[in-house]
Amino acid sequence: MIASNPAIQPNPAIQPNATIQPNTERQPSRERKRAVSRYGMSIDLDRCTGCGACMVACAVENNIPPAHEGATARKGITWIRVFKVDNGEEGPARRSVFVPVLCQQCGEDTPCVHVCPQQAVEVDPATGIVGQMPERCLGCRYCMAACPYHARFFNWWDPAWPAGMEKTLNPDVAPRMRGVVEKCNFCHGRWHAAKERAAAAGKPEIEAGAYVPACVESCPTGAIRFGDLKDSASEPAVAAKDAHSFRLLEKLGTEPKIYYRSKRDWVRQVAAAPKPPSGKENARG
Amino acid sequence: MQRTRREILLFMGGGAAGAMLTPAPWRLVTDAAIWSENWPGIPRPARGEITARYTNCALCPAGCAVRARCVAGQPVSLAGVSGGPLSLGALCAFGLTGHHLPYHPKRLKQGTPEEAAAAVRGAMAKCGPSENIAVLDLAPGRSASWTYRRAMAAVANGVYLAPPLPLGGAAVNLAKARIVLSLGAPLLDGWGTPGNVHAARANFRLVQAEPWESRTAALADEWLPIRPGSEAALALALTDPKTAASAAQATGLTEKQIAGLANELRANGPALVLSADDLPEAMALNQALGAWGQTLAAGSEAPLPDVWKKAAPERVVASVADNSIRVLFIDESVPGSHIPWSAVEKKLVRDNPVVVAFAWSLEGYGRHAQFTLPTAVYPELTGDIPPAVDSPAATFRIAAPLVAPPAGMTDPSAFIAKATGIDPGNALQERADAIYKSGQGTLFTYADAKSTPLKDLKPADFWKSLNEGGAWIANAAVGQDAILRGDCQSPRGPIANRPAGCLPANLPHIGSLDTAFPLPVAFSEPQSASLTSPLMSKLYQDSDLRMPPNTAALHPDTARASGILGAARAVLETQYGRCAIGVIPDASVPPGMLAVAAGAEVLDICGALTRAKVVAA
Repeated sequence: MIASNPAIQPNPAIQPNATIQPNTERQPSRERKRAVSRYGMSIDLDRCTGCGACMVACAVENNIPPAHEGATARKGITWIRVFKVDNGEEGPARRSVFVPVLCQQCGEDTPCVHVCPQQAVEVDPATGIVGQMPERCLGCRYCMAACPYHARFFNWWDPAWPAGMEKTLNPDVAPRMRGVVEKCNFCHGRWHAAKERAAAAGKPEIEAGAYVPACVESCPTGAIRFGDLKDSASEPAVAAKDAHSFRLLEKLGTEPKIYYRSKRDWVRQVAAAPKPPSGKENARG
Repeated sequence: MQRTRREILLFMGGGAAGAMLTPAPWRLVTDAAIWSENWPGIPRPARGEITARYTNCALCPAGCAVRARCVAGQPVSLAGVSGGPLSLGALCAFGLTGHHLPYHPKRLKQGTPEEAAAAVRGAMAKCGPSENIAVLDLAPGRSASWTYRRAMAAVANGVYLAPPLPLGGAAVNLAKARIVLSLGAPLLDGWGTPGNVHAARANFRLVQAEPWESRTAALADEWLPIRPGSEAALALALTDPKTAASAAQATGLTEKQIAGLANELRANGPALVLSADDLPEAMALNQALGAWGQTLAAGSEAPLPDVWKKAAPERVVASVADNSIRVLFIDESVPGSHIPWSAVEKKLVRDNPVVVAFAWSLEGYGRHAQFTLPTAVYPELTGDIPPAVDSPAATFRIAAPLVAPPAGMTDPSAFIAKATGIDPGNALQERADAIYKSGQGTLFTYADAKSTPLKDLKPADFWKSLNEGGAWIANAAVGQDAILRGDCQSPRGPIANRPAGCLPANLPHIGSLDTAFPLPVAFSEPQSASLTSPLMSKLYQDSDLRMPPNTAALHPDTARASGILGAARAVLETQYGRCAIGVIPDASVPPGMLAVAAGAEVLDICGALTRAKVVAA
């Protein structure tokens, strides 16, 4: 039928009885696409002062509204949240550390992806970023229950800003409606902007340092660093190999891409165990 | 052909079932979801050309360099300027949200400047020989401050008042410090210029002596948990070892610890001692450690036009006689230090004083003034930044407006100048001209991260660059100055060997208040009566990273002893008055003290070295 159409002729290069082989020329490009980047972060807990600059910079960048009057520490939206964690002691023996917690961008068995009935959560193969698509989300909050890091937030209220303040919204990020879940996506709007800049400059990929999330840019102490974990020279990649580095709930095997670092032994011990040896509560905030 | 009812129903049912097999209903669902994201209840971000503009943050004397990302001219985010020589790319949480302030729900939008001017004229006309006309400037050191001083020099009995300056006007050179003893100073939590402090942090050892584990204590190399209110005793013992025994008793440290710290400070210098309340004992210790000329120097200001030098001297509020101020102007258009209102109020004459506050909200002194005139707020206002406490070199930075102020705003300088009959001129440009004439220093421009010696610039280019985001920095630190000395009258200098009645904000000695107000107050959050961006609620409502304004944290034992265990609200009482506060029980705060997050109400009754008690609401 097709061959009878003079406009469509069989490709002479394809022999009638030949088995179709995989396109060996396209395969590397697909591989390359999958292997472009694996963005990650390192957070030096010995430098974090708990100032909160990352939290407000994130809210500014991602059009997260000020707290609704009914919002609490459980119902509020803070894509990155700094917790104060102590060693469980009291008095002069007490020691505290500030731990910024955001979506850990799980690399394997991403729990939120598995449970989403709407395919509203996807891991971008080009960047390794776990993305959330609010327009697909039906608000079941399975992902919130599944996330072991409590890094997902539900919009209990329609987003609202004081009159006039909506003029300060970032045009690269759409505000989310009531009834959907949202979370850190490593400032995906910035990734798109960096991609466009790179394309405009005729570069195939984003150069190192041309794309950083808002929390990284705003950290006054330089505690939060960002980069491609596949680039062995990037700070997160270096941090990943540091003996003082750890990841949250590493034993779950979700391969988070956020590496924490502290030279203080008790901090690493607290991160590894739910409770310190004394048996007292270790997490506040 | 006749259709039966059954056939019609079958056709409709079949059609509906068939439609489910087409993309149409699913497309409808998707479109509805997308539409619901854009329904009228959800604001749409504005679109337009994206540009970058530069300015300096005017929210504190750090004056950090700011890069504003603007969409169609409207700033949508602020960030530090990497490579900036003073702030080194950093911006604090308050600075990052500065562009929200013009839209704060509590912003003051209307005032009555004509009525205020008439009342001021009337009061000035009947001002007696023993009465004063005064300006209280909460952010001294600006060009506007010099306009106020000139205005006060132009009228009889004019007085220029300013809060005591940090370190008595001295400047800190953190880069030279190798060991820093902080007596409760929030060195890593808002003190000085954040970028500068964090850059210097790697080069000095930090010992934090403080009753509770503050943010600075948590990251210090060594935290010395001393007893509340014993900072002065520790500083005294480090200066004079003979008092070590009594200091050990007061602080809870051992004599060996105190001796070890004293040795460390002397052996590992250059040393620097900072204290939360600018204790005279801390400055005496600096003097004993030889910090002057090393880590401390007299603060320096940018050159002034000659005609400005005929100006009223700076004085502290306490130096003015009680019931002597007939007309008081208060400029709180930019955030600055706060003096408890009761300390100001007692200086006013008893019969009909006129108080005019220039403010952008009613949260500060505007609550007490007869007239509160609305002003522009950062990033609308145009003005220069006062010198930063950690900048030994003189600087000149202009906070250029990123958005236009709304109609009806009052310029405090112009109002006061008109009331006193002087010509304010263009103070900023006159100052820039004077700096240019001095011929020294360099100009750093933020857009291209370039330093240019002043002698290589034309005056017009210098002025233009300052307004488009730049900083003038003097060539060298003023360095080897003599120890600052002053008297109780001035906000500058009178720190070392200051007499007892000359404590910051003229507070009485602690001992006399011990019984009535047993709890020393430590400020756990940066002190400011000014409003912050609504987005700062992320830090204290959407999370509990910081304490909300007008809140106190105290140990459950302290709460029990005060009879407020389990209460969410209580009343805070100090020698200056009382106000309602929120209460947070926190076992990390040691018994016998209060960790307070300042707000306008708390700052009305709390100054430096305040002691308090809490009672049930």
